[in-house]
Amino acid sequence: MGCDVVTVSTDTKFTHLAWREYEKELAKINYPMGSDPTGKLGRMFGVYDEGSGLTLRGTFIINPEGTLLGSEVNFYNLGRNIDEMMRKFKANVYLAKKTNEACPSKWKDEGDKTLAPNAKMVGKVHEALND
Amino acid sequence: MSDAAGGLKLGQRVPDFELETFEPAKGDFGTFSLAQQIAKKRWTILFFYPADFTFV
Repeated sequence: MGCDVVTVSTDTKFTHLAWREYEKELAKINYPMGSDPTGKLGRMFGVYDEGSGLTLRGTFIINPEGTLLGSEVNFYNLGRNIDEMMRKFKANVYLAKKTNEACPSKWKDEGDKTLAPNAKMVGKVHEALND
Repeated sequence: MSDAAGGLKLGQRVPDFELETFEPAKGDFGTFSLAQQIAKKRWTILFFYPADFTFV
């Protein structure tokens, strides 16, 4: 799909290496692990917490032109749903090709019902989704 | 970009950035740069988490 996932925390690349080697849960995870020790990138995205020096659980989708298209931030104690993250990513890729369509909340993958907003649909979204 | 309360808005161009990385697939250190992603026409998902040795 022409996409790269990069995980980011304020740990150094050396700590990343140690954690990756030690934690069995990570054995099958092969994404590059980015290091943001000064919090510069975390600040840019508004997820760096000055008080703790940690970053919140933020997920950001950037298109191949470098434009920010997706943003989701959870507090420290709430994990992310990877299925929802992938749904949003796939929708963004799809919408980049189909610029006059919109993916409704139940859209999961290419082939699912989309909407093409137009004057006739005003007040008739229910019919458009269920025809 | 120094305002912690700020943050980029959707639809904005992300300023170029570079990160040092550990790359498990290669078992080696590397770098990740947004400019490179744009040059290669690839999408990027940035996945922030609080700290190593915690759950993600």
